[in-house]
Amino acid sequence: MSATAELISADILLATKPPRRRRKFPSLGVVFAFIWLISLTVCTLFAAYIPFIRDYDTQIKVNGKTGRYNLGPGWTAWMGTDASSHDVFARSIHGARITLMIGVLATIMGLVLGTILGVLAGYFGGKVDRVVSIIVDCLLALPALLLALLLVYRMDDLKSVYTWLGWLDRKWEITLTLGILATAPLARIVRAQTMGLREREFVLAARSLGAKGGRVILREILPNLVPAMVTVAITGLGILIAAEGALAFLGLGVERPVTWGKMIIDGRADLKRAWWATVFPATFLFLTVVSFNMLGDRLARRFDIREAAI
Amino acid sequence: MAGTGKAHLRTEDALLRVEDLVVRFPVGRTGLFVNAVSGISLDVLKGETLGLVGESGCGKSTTGRAIMQLPRPTSGSVMFEGRELTSMTGDTMREARTRMQMIFQDPISSLNPRRKVRDIVMEPLTIWKRGTVAERNARVDQVLEEVGIDPQRAAESQPHQFSGGQCQRISIARSLVLSPSLIICDEPVSALDVSVQAQVLNLLEDLKRQYGLTLIFIAHDLAVVKNISDRVAVMYLGKICEVAKSDDLYREPAHHYTNVLLNSIPVPDPEIAVQRTAIEGEIPSPVFPPAGCRFHTRCPGMQERCQNEEPQLREINTGHFVACHYPVHGGEAPVSIRTAGS
Repeated sequence: MSATAELISADILLATKPPRRRRKFPSLGVVFAFIWLISLTVCTLFAAYIPFIRDYDTQIKVNGKTGRYNLGPGWTAWMGTDASSHDVFARSIHGARITLMIGVLATIMGLVLGTILGVLAGYFGGKVDRVVSIIVDCLLALPALLLALLLVYRMDDLKSVYTWLGWLDRKWEITLTLGILATAPLARIVRAQTMGLREREFVLAARSLGAKGGRVILREILPNLVPAMVTVAITGLGILIAAEGALAFLGLGVERPVTWGKMIIDGRADLKRAWWATVFPATFLFLTVVSFNMLGDRLARRFDIREAAI
Repeated sequence: MAGTGKAHLRTEDALLRVEDLVVRFPVGRTGLFVNAVSGISLDVLKGETLGLVGESGCGKSTTGRAIMQLPRPTSGSVMFEGRELTSMTGDTMREARTRMQMIFQDPISSLNPRRKVRDIVMEPLTIWKRGTVAERNARVDQVLEEVGIDPQRAAESQPHQFSGGQCQRISIARSLVLSPSLIICDEPVSALDVSVQAQVLNLLEDLKRQYGLTLIFIAHDLAVVKNISDRVAVMYLGKICEVAKSDDLYREPAHHYTNVLLNSIPVPDPEIAVQRTAIEGEIPSPVFPPAGCRFHTRCPGMQERCQNEEPQLREINTGHFVACHYPVHGGEAPVSIRTAGS
């Protein structure tokens, strides 16, 4: 009896040998997001050196003549040509440059401003917190698009009055506007995280060792904010790129050389006749925004950051 | 259980003398307050270990932190090494704080997860720019070795690469680097395994002897406190119930609360019949503390007087103080004139 029992238990032991641990592979979405963003960045940065990408203002002639939408998607122009006989594929790649640049710069600006505001509010609390919270809540309460429109128009006005604002072309106007818009959500999450960190024992320990406020913030709090900041910044980057497209759609886009929003608005009127001139740049925009969201979500799960704060 | 009395304060020059310490936190913007600590007085002589016990939420940790002025107490006086801390500000305060240090309950949370362990221990010396770089390095190596952490490993590892017990050792090392005179241990072993608890407690004892430290040992584990403390103060809902030499307190507890606490220590012998007076009910809200004796809502020996009159600390034996009208032994408290008149 007991011998059988032993045999059985031995069998079970053999059968339930733990399977070999496999390294968890990131989800398909994340892999795609990575590949998409990296190849897009490489293509747009080195477009001039990549043979299959034409210049953005090269016109494709059919039978020696240019013409409106003279080529559909095909071998010559993979994504067809637009109203001015430009290659849609080449323009989509070139369009990424301005779009990504505006997105990244605005995010950096938002990170800097948002971190300063959020850390001050979260660490010092009290009146500082009250003031920062009011600013942030106001920014979040106003319709973002309306605020962006107002800001861009206002900057246009200012530029015509003050000559020293000459450097402020449309590109920088939009960057500054989006940077201001990105500040609010970042300040909010940094504030929440800082308030949590402030109560942690290692911060208390640093203070009991005689560290000054600045040192506590720089050495103890900021390094622990990095994951949250990166996560929100990546997700925010997607939103900003979409917002840039929306602004362009409303006629506040960067005119030259080319952006996705501009391509979409230009081709929209002839959507029935030449769908490719609108659908392809829109797809580029969509895939890029989705990729940033995928990465942001993945990071948020990795670092366990609550979505509510975003 | 008032503990508002100061009968238990000794006349000798104490290293730390806390009088009428009150800490209140506002509850949102309701205008209400959490009365975390409601007027307690303590003193600790040099080289002594004071145990501070009580159940969760009774204000033990808040007392420890208020002594460090983190956060500052609402009122009361904290005299440390002959200097009043509550009125200090700015750099004087920062400097005075370094003479006492704190060790926290959660060993992982006490160390910044994004820094190298060696830098964490070095931090106090860096802040105060003590000595040359070589001297700092030597000091850190020495302290790390004293607490049993390999300095080589500490130089290249982050806190999460160490176990809970090791993290607590690192915390101890950090608190020792500046050679403080007082260390406030806020439940330093509650989060550790029993076997590791013993190691850390022994380490604290050794270091205490070596550095001539004075300890305030906050805990809810009575067995731990018994072994390490010279004097024990029992707290309940922001007040002190009983203060006595460790042995006296454990041999003949006078306060009903202490009695119940001691009875609740599990006896590791199945042959011994269990006969205990279990404590009933929950700890009352510190926002609306009970009138009179704060323990009267749960006290097995409650009488009418306890509901109205707050008992004062009084001596029932040499060095044994209790704040109770009708203690387990030691006789009824004399009726105070104030209450008798009203």
